[in-house]
Amino acid sequence: MSERTVRRFVERVLRGQPTERADPDDFEAQQMKTAIELRAARLGSDAPREEFVTDLHRRLGAELGAAERHDSHDPWAPRRRQVVIGGSVAAASAVAGLVVGHNLLAPTETQHATPQRELDPNAGTWRRVGAAVDLPEGGALGFDLGSVNGFVHRTDAKLEAVSGVCTHQGCKLWLDGPESRLRCPCHSTSFSLNGATVTHQLPIAPPPLPKFHVREINGVIEVFAPNQPA
Amino acid sequence: MTGAAYPDWDAVYRDNVTWVYRLMYGKVGNQADAEDLTAEVFMTALRPLRVSATVPEVRKYLRMTARTVLASYWGDRMGRQVTAIEEDVPEVVARESVASDAPDKVQKLLQRLPDNYRRILELRFLQAFSVREAATQMGISVANAKVLQYRALRMAALSREEATS
Repeated sequence: MSERTVRRFVERVLRGQPTERADPDDFEAQQMKTAIELRAARLGSDAPREEFVTDLHRRLGAELGAAERHDSHDPWAPRRRQVVIGGSVAAASAVAGLVVGHNLLAPTETQHATPQRELDPNAGTWRRVGAAVDLPEGGALGFDLGSVNGFVHRTDAKLEAVSGVCTHQGCKLWLDGPESRLRCPCHSTSFSLNGATVTHQLPIAPPPLPKFHVREINGVIEVFAPNQPA
Repeated sequence: MTGAAYPDWDAVYRDNVTWVYRLMYGKVGNQADAEDLTAEVFMTALRPLRVSATVPEVRKYLRMTARTVLASYWGDRMGRQVTAIEEDVPEVVARESVASDAPDKVQKLLQRLPDNYRRILELRFLQAFSVREAATQMGISVANAKVLQYRALRMAALSREEATS
């Protein structure tokens, strides 16, 4: 009967504060629901905060990473367990509908084992990969010259270019701009923009990415690349 | 094609975090709880999830996890389900309705109310005016604005109930 339950709840909804415990009756709950719907319909208020998305990503990485390390104590554990979706996924009304192995998605932080090498073709030429204006400080740019492909980035006003091919099995890397990472679609390996191996889930860390010679000349960025076969 | 899969958990997260958050926000109406619940969904779902599951399967699984997480949140806070995530919504509809459906539903709801009721709810809930500002806008006293707001919400809740039953 008391109106206070609803009032208190609505005041908090309007201030954007988290929900407190209460004991509403049917009609009070109905009013709360209406208040939530009204508040949630406010334009532009339902996009997640960038910091939240990034932070949760980091927490998940840590969480899954811990499980992985724990898991790897068993040397006989199969390296790649699969999720078996039991019967139809429609049955997944239960979270238990998924029969699953432990996580091994978690990337492992790596130590540097292999030194980074420079890509030095026997015969090469300076080839244009883009205009200098297209690469602002802190930016990165992908390029494909046929014989080679890679990514060039500018950090502290310095240009650096690395190969765009994973050193594990040769899959083509993709640029994850927001995280400044080059990611491999095959085994979740990731490299920094300067080519260092950052995370992987392989028994042995893949070597870092080879570096290209790169220069900026007359507003053009050029990479020293092998000549195309005639 | 039987359906593409995600390359890794990272891709699962990136592709789905926004709609899961929006879904939760629409059900709890505040950022802090929506963030906590979104985190819980991914913490619960990603650990056992293997990515050979197809994209629609993963989404369905996330939605089901969200449903369970929300239910236990309300159970804990209020002892009843103030809002709920429907179970059987086709995947495409489910994803899109998260963003677009809500304002539409609210507009229809507001249109059924008398003018001053509609106005006070719009000012307070949709346009983020304080009670004082809303009162000024409507040319009424603060005390009246407060009373009006609660009556309007009661009527909206009743009208909502009628519309759905």
